[in-house]
Amino acid sequence: MGLASFDEVVAAHHPEIYRYLRRLTWRASGADDLVQETFLRAYRAWPTLSADANVRAWLFAIATNLARNHFRSEARRRRAYVAAGEGSAGSEPAGPEEEHVLRETRELLDRVVAALPLKQRLAFTLRKVHDLEYDAIAESLECSPDSARAHVFQALKKIRVSLNGHALPMERTR
Amino acid sequence: MTPTPPSCRAIEADLVATATGEAAAGAARRVDEHARDCASCREELARYRAIDSLARGLRGDAPAAAELAASRAALQRRLADVRSRVLRYGIVPSPLGNILVARSEHGVTMVEYLGDATTLAASRLRELADVETVEDSAEIARLRDELLDFLAGRRRELGWRLDLRLAGSDFRRAVLEAARGIPYGAVTSYAALARRVGKPGAERAVAQALRWNPLPIVVPCHRIVGSSGKLTGYAGDKLGLKRQLLEVEGVRTTTAARDFRVARERMYVRAGDDRAYCLPTCGDLPSSSLANLTLIASRDVVAALGLEPCSDCRPDLHPLAG
Repeated sequence: MGLASFDEVVAAHHPEIYRYLRRLTWRASGADDLVQETFLRAYRAWPTLSADANVRAWLFAIATNLARNHFRSEARRRRAYVAAGEGSAGSEPAGPEEEHVLRETRELLDRVVAALPLKQRLAFTLRKVHDLEYDAIAESLECSPDSARAHVFQALKKIRVSLNGHALPMERTR
Repeated sequence: MTPTPPSCRAIEADLVATATGEAAAGAARRVDEHARDCASCREELARYRAIDSLARGLRGDAPAAAELAASRAALQRRLADVRSRVLRYGIVPSPLGNILVARSEHGVTMVEYLGDATTLAASRLRELADVETVEDSAEIARLRDELLDFLAGRRRELGWRLDLRLAGSDFRRAVLEAARGIPYGAVTSYAALARRVGKPGAERAVAQALRWNPLPIVVPCHRIVGSSGKLTGYAGDKLGLKRQLLEVEGVRTTTAARDFRVARERMYVRAGDDRAYCLPTCGDLPSSSLANLTLIASRDVVAALGLEPCSDCRPDLHPLAG
């Protein structure tokens, strides 16, 4: 794979990787550092990547690895949690009652997700927000696909408990 | 608190998977059948479905375009900086010992004789500031094949794009560029090269520039000898390599004690930029310094340069001495 094609990798995947890390850190500045580091690492390792590799899954794995290191610090986890509450508040314009409820529930979801144990939070975000396959999530979290699935389900159960008593947009479901 | 009935416990594990559409067909059917008759599990299923739907709704969240653009711009700046510093290298075993070949995105940056050494530890690259090295044999593979073909005499040109960043100064860069123009199978002198870069008399400075040639072989400084025809220096003390390279190109050399010389009596001669070439015995040539001469190993090379035979000595009619 030529080096020129790395530009295409950046063009194709930067928005999504940024969105992922932005959601994890809830701060543009924190996300920026991690995004840059993700692509710099990818650039250095690019020539060793096999031609049939899943580039997207590979980038998510690098980003996840960096995020895990980043969140080794308790203070950073706490900051992200606080920012999750602030970051999503008022992010959508006011609308009818139903939209208002949905927005509030989403804000609550953001805070609950930010408070999840890190692996569950990462697995949940990779699966539900970015729709990655469990094989790819497993690669990111350095675990088996079954463990990756278990992390997502554990996350869902905790969210279920945390949202108990809150109105959910039931009529919007299948 | 009411204990969970056994039939509810039996489907509990599959309930979340069913709600999120990830259960196997059989398990999902069992859950659905159970939920039809069990109000609490039906509600549970509905809540999980709502949560899953809510979570999937997060996919629509996108950062502001300006924020994304700023991140992209910052990333491009950092990448450009790293890309300008990264040199990818490979080490090629060859008949001249191990040779390190390194390239940047702009072109081949360094060719270095490592002798028996097989790692970067032996390379000058490690001493260079502002350089980040990445071993990358795949990237170097094409260069390796061409280099080995060249050293075996199967290829006459290494038309590689070069990155002369290690040249050190504009003068040295000019010397390297001029040296690159010396054709395969031809030999000239430091003095002649000094004249070519517009610094007649600066042969010492030219020799010094070539002593630090970061791209031996591809910038063919082995084709440059003293005005007496003596091979003088090469890559430090590697005069033997210079001789080997010249012989690959058909340039014959003589040895007396430790004194290697080009066998000029067995080479055609071109004076200055003349369009003609001569036998080495033509006119005053045998006693002339190489300062203004180019020696040429064969008629192939003469033909490649498009030179005409001298009308006095008729090198086209007379073979060179064997």
